Amino acid sequence: MSTDQGAFTDQFLALLQERLHGGGEDTLQRSYELGRRLLGEGLGVLSVATIHHTAVLRALEGARSQEQTLDILSAAQSLFMENLSPYELTQQTLHGVNLAWRRLNEKLEAEAKRIAHALHDEAGQLLATAHISLADLAEDLPPRSQRRLQETRDILDQIEEQFRRISHELRPTILDDLGLVPAVEFLAEGISKRGGFGVDVKSHIEDRLPPGLETALYRIIQEALTNVSRHAQARRADIRLWRAGHDLHCSIRDDGVGFDAQGVLRPGGHAGLGLMGMRERLAAVGGALSITTGHGQGTELLITIPRENADVSANYHR
Amino acid sequence: MGDYFVAHQEPGSRRVRKFSRDNHSPRECVIKIESDADVVIARRKGRSMAADIGFEPRDLTRITAAISELARNIIAYAKRGEIVLLSIDQEKRQGIAVVSRDDGPGIRDLSQAMRDGFSTSGRLGLGLPGVKRLMDEFEIVSEPGRGTAVTVRKWKS
Repeated sequence: MSTDQGAFTDQFLALLQERLHGGGEDTLQRSYELGRRLLGEGLGVLSVATIHHTAVLRALEGARSQEQTLDILSAAQSLFMENLSPYELTQQTLHGVNLAWRRLNEKLEAEAKRIAHALHDEAGQLLATAHISLADLAEDLPPRSQRRLQETRDILDQIEEQFRRISHELRPTILDDLGLVPAVEFLAEGISKRGGFGVDVKSHIEDRLPPGLETALYRIIQEALTNVSRHAQARRADIRLWRAGHDLHCSIRDDGVGFDAQGVLRPGGHAGLGLMGMRERLAAVGGALSITTGHGQGTELLITIPRENADVSANYHR
Repeated sequence: MGDYFVAHQEPGSRRVRKFSRDNHSPRECVIKIESDADVVIARRKGRSMAADIGFEPRDLTRITAAISELARNIIAYAKRGEIVLLSIDQEKRQGIAVVSRDDGPGIRDLSQAMRDGFSTSGRLGLGLPGVKRLMDEFEIVSEPGRGTAVTVRKWKS
């Protein structure tokens, strides 16, 4: 038990003694406030139960008779309920959590759209202006300087191309216009170029999916490929999309170094925001994610979305 | 977010509705809230009124938790206000209403205040959405600069 928990146990024990000596509503109120603090400190229900249990055991050491024992247990019970009731304030249904995630995702999408627009249109326009001034300048320069200026303009072209790509990846219009597969192909091409590994996309899905599902899958694949290029040291990655029965599947596999999935996904483990984000994004459209990996074995992410959820997610707007 | 009720009227001067439609006169109890000691009084009166109505212990804890949160909000945001407790006795059901009223700064963005984890005072943002979760009915009226009135009800099952 941590020192904090020890201190909380002492406080709970003090409240218990006070209650046993006739303490009324104010002891209950303080127990409630203590519960609120425990919640604020991030202690889980099981930790609160442990604090309670330890305090009660210590109080019972002083019990001289069965009557006293019953008094202690009854006082502890009323304090414990007060102590736990703040936790009931936080209870949310799974539905509520999913809704919250959808709203957050929608916000992020809107924000991505805004940044994409700023990059593409505003920064792009500034670059175009820079090009024009450089072209003007070039006319006044001797040929040798003109060559060097041309090199600078080539770099500007590259920057423009990068802006265009990043802007598309942030919020690809291609996803809205042509659908998931062309958007993923475009994404794969860009990441493959920058990351120096091959990406192959094969899809057996002909029709368009509900918009929310397309966005969710696109973002998950994007995150997965980013992970591959950052951590996997892979030579190639394969993306496959197919239907089996009523379910929709998507697999993202690489031949890289792999990782310790159990360590990363353990509660309190250092799950990158990436993997967590993927999980939550999938949960919001009712899908599931399984990860097969190990040191030196490459990594495969397998996404499964039951058809009924694929239909539900039609309500999840872009 | 849901089914809470938003309207613009004057919270400070709002009369508490009488719910009773039968022969029993409604029992009503007003507690001024200014300090933590007042919170304890409101809790004690609420607990005893709810026990008289016949709520089971679990619900007594929920009702006092709601009183705590509403009273906390009064002290935190408006400094002072009042909690009104009403015993509701209708033909088919009995319950309790807890009304919290203040003439404080009001809530500028109600839907934000009803969102989980939101608190402008940097405290644990449990308050209003938590209270809504504990009780059966929830109504809020708030006007920036004029105050806030929250009415919650719980029915005996």
